[in-house]
Amino acid sequence: MKWKLTAVAAGLAFALTSGVAGIAKASGELNLFNWGNYTNPELITKFEAETGIKVIITDYDDNDSALAKVKVGGHGFDMVVPSSNYVPIWIKEGLLLEARPDQMSNFKNLEEIWQDVDWDPGRHYTVPWQWGSVGIMLDTAVYSGDINTSSIIFDPPAELVGKINVAPEMADVVGMALRYIGSEPCTLDKAALKKARDLLINAKTKWLSMEYGVIEKIAGGDLAASLYWNGASFRARLQNPNVHFGYPKEGYSLWMDSVAILKDAKNVENAKTFMNFIMVPENAALISAFARYANGVKGSVPFMPEDMATAPEVVIPPEFLKSGHFVPSCEPEAQGYYTAIWTELQK
Amino acid sequence: MTNSSNPGQSIMRRRPFSVKTQTGFTTMAIICFFLLYAPLLPLVFYSFNAGSSLAFWEGFSFRWYVAAWENEMVMDATIRSLYLAISAALISTFLATLAALGTTRTRPYRGLTAIYAMINQPLMVPEIVTAVALLILFAGIKQATDYHGMAYLIIAHSAFCIPFAYLPIRARLEGMDKTLEVAAADLYATRWMTFRRITLPLIWPGILAGLMLAFVISLDDVVITQLVKSSGQNTLPTYMLGQLRRVITPEVNAISSVLLAVSVAIVTVLFFLNKKNNNNKKTQ
Repeated sequence: MKWKLTAVAAGLAFALTSGVAGIAKASGELNLFNWGNYTNPELITKFEAETGIKVIITDYDDNDSALAKVKVGGHGFDMVVPSSNYVPIWIKEGLLLEARPDQMSNFKNLEEIWQDVDWDPGRHYTVPWQWGSVGIMLDTAVYSGDINTSSIIFDPPAELVGKINVAPEMADVVGMALRYIGSEPCTLDKAALKKARDLLINAKTKWLSMEYGVIEKIAGGDLAASLYWNGASFRARLQNPNVHFGYPKEGYSLWMDSVAILKDAKNVENAKTFMNFIMVPENAALISAFARYANGVKGSVPFMPEDMATAPEVVIPPEFLKSGHFVPSCEPEAQGYYTAIWTELQK
Repeated sequence: MTNSSNPGQSIMRRRPFSVKTQTGFTTMAIICFFLLYAPLLPLVFYSFNAGSSLAFWEGFSFRWYVAAWENEMVMDATIRSLYLAISAALISTFLATLAALGTTRTRPYRGLTAIYAMINQPLMVPEIVTAVALLILFAGIKQATDYHGMAYLIIAHSAFCIPFAYLPIRARLEGMDKTLEVAAADLYATRWMTFRRITLPLIWPGILAGLMLAFVISLDDVVITQLVKSSGQNTLPTYMLGQLRRVITPEVNAISSVLLAVSVAIVTVLFFLNKKNNNNKKTQ
């Protein structure tokens, strides 16, 4: 009991001093507001050693609460890592600094396809952190047919009926259904929306569940297929070599989280240094090594852990890349239709 | 318990109704305890897993406890959580004691009900509403003063912990024999002496219970903390929530198991302290 008390007392003293001091406005500081469990400590140690800038990390767990906190002001953060479909909102609200990463010295290291993206034309605001896709996880011991099609989810073969899970992500699921029937996400075409709804409602009778946390279940054989993220599929394959990841040719979703500097940041120069720093291949590889998704920087793959560098889940084969699309942020009307379909599907 | 299956009419009429004598009471109690505590067993079990899975057992190991212990983020968040919970518990219990005295040791006055309602407001208002209100208020203060320290979290936590500390203390004050205080006053004790020598020792278990409740409530708060915290102020619950959205390893189980052990330890210590007090009283 004694050491515990000592620990608590020491902790109190430490927290008291750091709490009272608040955030001293030293020049060598950088306040990063990032998703929880998303920042590799090794990356930060390396950055601190190279630049002498101290990095303070604070976690958030969803795009909306991060946006709300920054919007009211007085937050004290310098950088944030929003998802691709949220970046336009951050820009439109005037919360981001036009830091012009496209003019930074390491920008040339970005893969060409990420140098200009729809949600940040010309990359005036953001630099890639990590990106991935939502595709088909499949236990090939149960079904050995074509894996690169969303018919596995929407019109499953008999072997898979009752063993399918779908991630409860409205934009990804409804968007994929719309692409499957030959329409586009965010469409206002009612005939197409009805068709997508019927497709989903029918398909759902052949699903087992709509939930997160499927790695163990598919690796252990409780599930045979799932609409899910590539990184999770990669982890499942490490537990069970029969689990493979498919990129539906009818279209699938891509996502990317990108680093941006806030307009009211206090340490703008340090933040710019950090942006430039993470576009160096070996640094970007550290990001990937920790959270296990691709990073969008050319030449980073050789620096990744061996099992990742060769993983088809992480490094998308080029022939499948063209059918991947970023999830757009729909207009309110289309959003309304999405919600209606989703509500009916959840019943 | 003994006679409930063979009810003699007269006995039934004399005995007061007690839930404990209803048929199925034991079964219901066992089911309830099982539902409450069974989910904790796998949590603790898998914290000792040698593999990185939450569902496949790969052998016994302390690997995840070591990982959590060596994880600076976890340590940092734990220390901050304890500091916050202890500060908030002490402040809120102090204020709650004053409030409980002010609402029980006076003649009923106009507005007493309104004061009850105000003290218990954090129990009624949805937490997210309080959180958003605090977010907006503190954002203004942070901008005006440029102070981003722990004070905001301590104030916020103290505020919502007050009713949890207040209720057991008030119950204790109401259940206390008031003639003891009157007797002390008759013997020329000043009001302070009466409080110090009579009231305080008698309500002490209530104050301890309130302190404990406030500590636990503050320790596991997520919503308000998430919206009020400034840069670099992750607490253990907000850190764990961030983990859950990414990849879960038994490290989370290990942290939770330690938290569980600490709370069981606190409750046990208090139980024995209380028991000792009661025994002393009986022998006096």
